[in-house]
Parts: sequence; structure tokens; C-alpha cells
Amino acid sequence: MGSILVIAEIQKGKVREASYELVSFARKIGGATNREVKSLVMGQGISAGAEELSKKGGGEVFAADDAALANYNLDAAFAAVQAAIAASSADVILLSNTPTGWDLAPRIAASLDAGLASDCFNVEVEGSDLVFFRRFFNGKFDSRLRPTALPLVATMQPGATAAFEGAADGKVTALSVSVGATGTKFVETKVAAAKGVDLTKADIIVSGGRSVGSPEKFQEVIKPLADALGGAMGASRPVVDAGWLPHEYQVGSSGQVVSPKLYVACGISGAIQHLVGMKASNFIIAINKDADAPIFEVANVGVVGDLFEVVPKLTEAIKTAKG
Amino acid sequence: MKIMVCIKQVPHADARLDVNGAGTWIQEENIKFEINPYDQNALEAALQLKDKDASSEVVVVSIGPERVTQSLRTALGMGADRAVHVKDAAADGSDSLGTAKILAAVAKAESPDLVFAGFMSDDGNLAATGPMLATLLGIPHTTTAVSFVKNGAVTVERELEGGALEVVELNTPCLVTTQTGMNQVRYASLKGIMAAKKKPIDVKTVADLGLAGQVGAGAAKFKIEKLYTPPKGQGAEILSGSVDEVVGKLVGKIKELGLL
Repeated sequence: MGSILVIAEIQKGKVREASYELVSFARKIGGATNREVKSLVMGQGISAGAEELSKKGGGEVFAADDAALANYNLDAAFAAVQAAIAASSADVILLSNTPTGWDLAPRIAASLDAGLASDCFNVEVEGSDLVFFRRFFNGKFDSRLRPTALPLVATMQPGATAAFEGAADGKVTALSVSVGATGTKFVETKVAAAKGVDLTKADIIVSGGRSVGSPEKFQEVIKPLADALGGAMGASRPVVDAGWLPHEYQVGSSGQVVSPKLYVACGISGAIQHLVGMKASNFIIAINKDADAPIFEVANVGVVGDLFEVVPKLTEAIKTAKG
Repeated sequence: MKIMVCIKQVPHADARLDVNGAGTWIQEENIKFEINPYDQNALEAALQLKDKDASSEVVVVSIGPERVTQSLRTALGMGADRAVHVKDAAADGSDSLGTAKILAAVAKAESPDLVFAGFMSDDGNLAATGPMLATLLGIPHTTTAVSFVKNGAVTVERELEGGALEVVELNTPCLVTTQTGMNQVRYASLKGIMAAKKKPIDVKTVADLGLAGQVGAGAAKFKIEKLYTPPKGQGAEILSGSVDEVVGKLVGKIKELGLL
């Protein structure tokens, strides 16, 4: 039996929380299928991170410490992964569904002629088989995916399980990586521009989705409710993509992650990337025509109906209630 | 410069989706399809390069049944020069790797200088095919591009978490996957649609590409054993009644929160 290789990520010198979540999944399936858990940490000046991971469940941690890995580079990272796969005899390779995972996981899978199950929220052991669980159609359906071959590569959704906490005996093994000429070059990381609208500070957010229909309708229907409640207006990604509102209004994993006292989602179906950005809200009201919309899974209270009928009346009722 | 754009036809964002009888995919009869939104941005990125250099050729490639012709005609109407349509039941049920193998066979025959693909498809959301294709072609790639500049080498801004961006340079030929919102996608003009009728769509089979037995459901490395509506957890308390009644209940809830 091969081993399970966890491709850990370093952020600001520390192993990411998402990587310890991978360790949790790896330990679960490793124990049940008799696979050892091993890990890869790559970067520059990562010995503390590698040491910590080896003491917190990462098993044998291969540490690829190289100037070529100081910033994320596809070719350098891929070379490190190849070396780690060779050193670990892994047949199950786990990454996080993060920008690094998006870039790297398919390259690993294709190079091994292996399958990739991406953005999984769970993996279970059934007999000697692994079964992966992931969503399709932007969260509308769940699925069971069964591998037909090994090796396999999977990426797991950050936050899908708790980070591994238990202590386990591991060790750090230095991994030398030879990085030749690279086809890609890291230039810089840009931090998002200062925001004119800081939704993270709002107590109440009223957000609209694509079905609001136009920039004008946002001002006519969504903004008045936000104003009546004394809150801020937000939006889902398709609204910002369409140019109806600037990026600073976007709630979601690629926009702002918010946790107001009240979040009102109007005509938002609840794609995963939006839910990640607002599910920590204290109280969520969802208004949507589609009773099966995933937004109703995270909402406290739902209205199955037309936002154009409900929202204006709600706005008036709020104004009346406030006197 | 030759630019290849990989497009997938997916159910329209407004289509009502139901699981099929076998419980392994959606039922596809009588629903509307469209070009995957991420791929529309990929096509637009290619067409913008052609706008700057009319000698460039934009080749769109898609895999799927007869209905895909409609999407290819749309792409040609928007300004692509020609299309390759891999239309073969033997391709049905391919996983991301099988899809990438088919596209790689087409790309090897075309030798493009640049390949664009959407970051992910709106149906599978796997975000795997583009980088897998680059790997099979042995060319560099980057993912989630929100800007693209070609000035000798290619410079891309890619989206990270929380609104941060990473600037990456790539040697050519290379493959770039595009994020939605990267550009404003053009519509096909009437003139474009008329012109598209004369543009060629080259239809190929899996065997034409030398991939018989290597792609399709039988070769998939992962099988969708079951597709199902997510189990209802706690879920929302769904308010019932007339609009006025529902609004009254909402106001009550907001009052309970101490926000009125």
C-alpha cells in the first residue's frame, strides 16, 4: 500500500490551517486503509513550519527549502511535489482547494495519468475504497465520487473539517529539489486596493444577486431596504462580474468575508464562494424564487418568493416600524 | 499568432435542473444550454488579441453532441475564425483527464501559440481541464486570470483569496485559464452571425484523434456514483402566507434581533 501525501502550504511563515485540515482527512483515511501519512512543506526558511507539522500529525515531513520556492512558482512547486511523491511512494495526494491547489493539483494529476477530485468536502472509507464527496452545479447537487484507479489526487475545501490537533510522532526529512529553467515567473503579489465600502464593519447587510437584473434595480430595490435598516448594500459575484457594482461590494471568498448581525440575501442562490463569505453571519434571511436554492441551507429564515414583490413591501414595513 | 480557445456548453444559468433517472447526472432533455460563462471570458480574451492583430487566428474547440454546434456558431459569430467539434458518443462521460486528452490531441495538430480555457465549468466546477491540458502539452499555465497582457512574454494577474492578486509572467506557448469578470464579453453582431454561417466547423471523432479506448466513461479515473440534492440540514425556517403576512413575520424576526 502506498502512503498519503499531504501538500501543505506555508503562509506568513506558518503552516496554514487548511493544511492541518488535510492532515485530519489524511489521518482518517490513512488509519482505515493502512496508509502512512506523509507531508510536503515547501518554501524558503520553512524549518519551523516543517518542525511544527511533524509534531502535529504530518508524519514524515519532507521539507523542500529553496530560494526558488520563496514565492509560489508552478514549475518549482511541481518539481518539489514530484520529488516528494518519489520519496514517499504516495498513491493518494491531497491538496487544499486554494489558489495553489487550483494551479498545482491538475498538473500533478495529469503528470501521473491520475484522476482529480477537486473541492471535496469529505472523504470516507468504504471497505478498502475511498469515496470522495463534492458538490456540482455551484452547490445545487452533492455527489459521491469513486476512484477507479490509483494514484489519485484530491483537493479538499478549506473549512470542511476541523484542523488536526492530536500529537503524533513525525520527523522532518530535508528534500532537495532541482529546479531547472521555469516557464513561469513570479512577479509580485498585489494587495487589494483600499476599499471605499468596508462591509466587514457593517451590522446589517442587504445583498442582491444576478436576478436583481440591472444596476438600476439595485438602486431601486436593494439599496432602499439597506437604507431603511440602516445597513450596507452588498452583492454576489455575478453582479460584480457584470459591472453593476464595484468589486468592493462583493461578498464571498474572492470578495469580502462578512459576519454582520443580520444578512439579507435577495435573489442569491448561494454558490459556494458566496456562502463562504457570509455564512458566519449572526442571522440570515434569504429571499429566493427557487425553493431548492442552497442559500436556504445556511439561512435562518427563508421566503420562497419573488424579491420584487417581497423586498419593496419589507422596506415600507421597516420604515413604518421605525416610525 | 494562433490562439486556441476551449469552450464547453453547459446548462444555462436559469435552467431548471433535475437529477436523471440513473441518479448519476442531470437530465439534459428540454433544457437550455449556453457557452460556459468562464469560457466566454476566455473567448473574449482571445478576440481582444485578434482585435489588435488582425492576422491572428482564433480557433474554438468543443466536445459534445450535436447541440454544441449552436455554441460554436455563437463563438464564430462573435469573431472566432473556425471551430473544431469533437462529436462522438465515445467521448461521453470523459472525466477532466479524458477531456484534456481530447483537447491535447486537437492542440497538437493545431500548434497554437496561446491557449485559453475557462477557470472552471459551471456544471462540474472541477477547474481541472485547462491545467491538465497544459501539462499534457508540456507548456506552462496559470489559473484564474483577471487580466492578460502579451508583450513578447505573457503577463497575467491571477486572483488569490480575499481580493489579492498575483502577477505571473509566462513563456509562450502557454495556457491561461480565465476568471469571470476578467473582461466584458461581446455579443455576436448580426453581421458576425451572417459571416459565421460560412466559417468552417471541423467535426472529428475520438478515433480521428487516435484516442479510441483512452477517453470516455470507460476510461474515467473517477466515477460519479451518485448525484443528489444535498440533504436538508437544519435549513431555514420557511415563512408561509401571503406577501403581506410574510413581510409581517420578517419584521417580527428583525425586531427580535433588536435591530429595529
